[in-house]
Amino acid sequence: MALLEVRDLHVSYGAIQAVQGVSFEVNEGEVVALIGSNGAGKSTILRTISGLEKAKSGSIRFNDQELTKMKAHNIVKAGIAHVPEGRRIFPRLTVTENLHMGANLQTDKAKIASDMERVFELFPRLKEREKQQAGTLSGGEQQMLAFGRALMTDGKLLMMDEPSMGLAPIIVDEIFEIINRINAEGRSILLIEQNAFLALKTAKRAYVLETGKITMSGPASDLLADERVKAAYLGA
Amino acid sequence: MNYFFQYLVYGLQLGSVYALLALGYTMVYGIVGMINFAHGDFLMIGAVGTYFIAKAFEGMRIDGTYPMLIVGLIILIAMTMTGFVATGVEAIAYRPLRNKPRMIALITAVGVSMFLENFPRALPFIGPNPRSFPTLFSTNVLKIFGATVTVTQIIMIVLAVITMSILYYVVNHTKVGSQMRAVSMDKDAASLMGININRVISITFFIGGALAGISGICYASAYPQVDVYMGSWLGNMSFVSAVLGGIGDIRGAMLGGFILGIAQIFATALNSTFGYAVGFIILIIILLVRPAGLMGKLVIEKV
Repeated sequence: MALLEVRDLHVSYGAIQAVQGVSFEVNEGEVVALIGSNGAGKSTILRTISGLEKAKSGSIRFNDQELTKMKAHNIVKAGIAHVPEGRRIFPRLTVTENLHMGANLQTDKAKIASDMERVFELFPRLKEREKQQAGTLSGGEQQMLAFGRALMTDGKLLMMDEPSMGLAPIIVDEIFEIINRINAEGRSILLIEQNAFLALKTAKRAYVLETGKITMSGPASDLLADERVKAAYLGA
Repeated sequence: MNYFFQYLVYGLQLGSVYALLALGYTMVYGIVGMINFAHGDFLMIGAVGTYFIAKAFEGMRIDGTYPMLIVGLIILIAMTMTGFVATGVEAIAYRPLRNKPRMIALITAVGVSMFLENFPRALPFIGPNPRSFPTLFSTNVLKIFGATVTVTQIIMIVLAVITMSILYYVVNHTKVGSQMRAVSMDKDAASLMGININRVISITFFIGGALAGISGICYASAYPQVDVYMGSWLGNMSFVSAVLGGIGDIRGAMLGGFILGIAQIFATALNSTFGYAVGFIILIIILLVRPAGLMGKLVIEKV
């Protein structure tokens, strides 16, 4: 039984059909990647899972709950953490306040404190800047903050939208190393990336999305070796 | 000098009304990015409502004056009522338009304002005629620095300052306050933190409405006449205060309200027709010199 199961999902913006009948699943403990070019509908899928966009039809089941009719804040409660495209940290709150916002639904103070310690251990750079306004952080630090803030929500499934976007290669490596680490601790991850090589190296399975439809899927290592994927996404 | 202090007291009194009302404008703008042009009418509902609530408690007067406890109760009922009116207006009129272009919400707000003024006007037991506002507070007079100050004036100013301090604390040091700040910065990101956006916006409108209610009581206690149109002009002046202080900034709204109130009273003292103009003159100067308002900062954010 899959942790997240998306079936025949359709999403439109007015007349534009951004997602046209997409089905995929994420099993417990897996890293699954959705790859595809700009405008393929990747972000829309994540936003719909999180309840920020409405599905036109189809179903999204998570942990035996149907998400398509649920409000965004209840979906977080159900256990989905989302690091949105463009990071979307709260610019005029400090680093610590941003992390506390991630713990909005937690009530156990001791757990919040230990989760915070954990985030600072994963990202020592954030600890150094804990009192600083988030809007003044560098791009890489903002991505770490968005990542840490999502971890504070304590979701079973972590969805990451383009974590490598606009970052220096050394920071990207650091972020992906942490993705691997938290996955090793048992968190399931749904990853969206334009950097297909990186995504396929990290994921166990992957789906290729083209103009709102899934065109290929399978174990990441198979896709990495596939000639069509190589030609279209790996620049080989 | 005597006159100076006298006018200063009047100015602080009017300023506290503007400040309380400007807070509602600024909070709503900060959180949903719209100018709620019906906000001044919440003041009217507070004042006219208090007229009727006080009437209902008339039997509890002792020697023709209301006991303090009853006055407190009247204020509390009036604030709760205006708070719920504001929340209702948001839920019915503004919420369905939240993701539409801003102009639509703005025009709707003008429509809501007309409704809030003219619906009570059409009700037979309210109607268009002004009524004299009951005396809720002591009319005793004190002499301070040669100026004549009523106990009512002191209570009003103190009440306004206390209310604003509570608000400042709530916004900066409570959980709901930090949720409000998060929603004001980024609604989608706030949703992803598990924050119920609609609830936070409802609470914001409730607080804004309750503050408008108490500002209505403050105003009507100073100028004891209430009618259904009283809110529109006061609303405009408070809007100017909010812009003056830097719209979206809570301290700015308080500062802007007091500056405008004091400036208006002093200008009126110099020339009785000049009082209202001064608000707009100040606004024009501020917009030319500091377009973001006194406390507003042009925020620089790395992307």
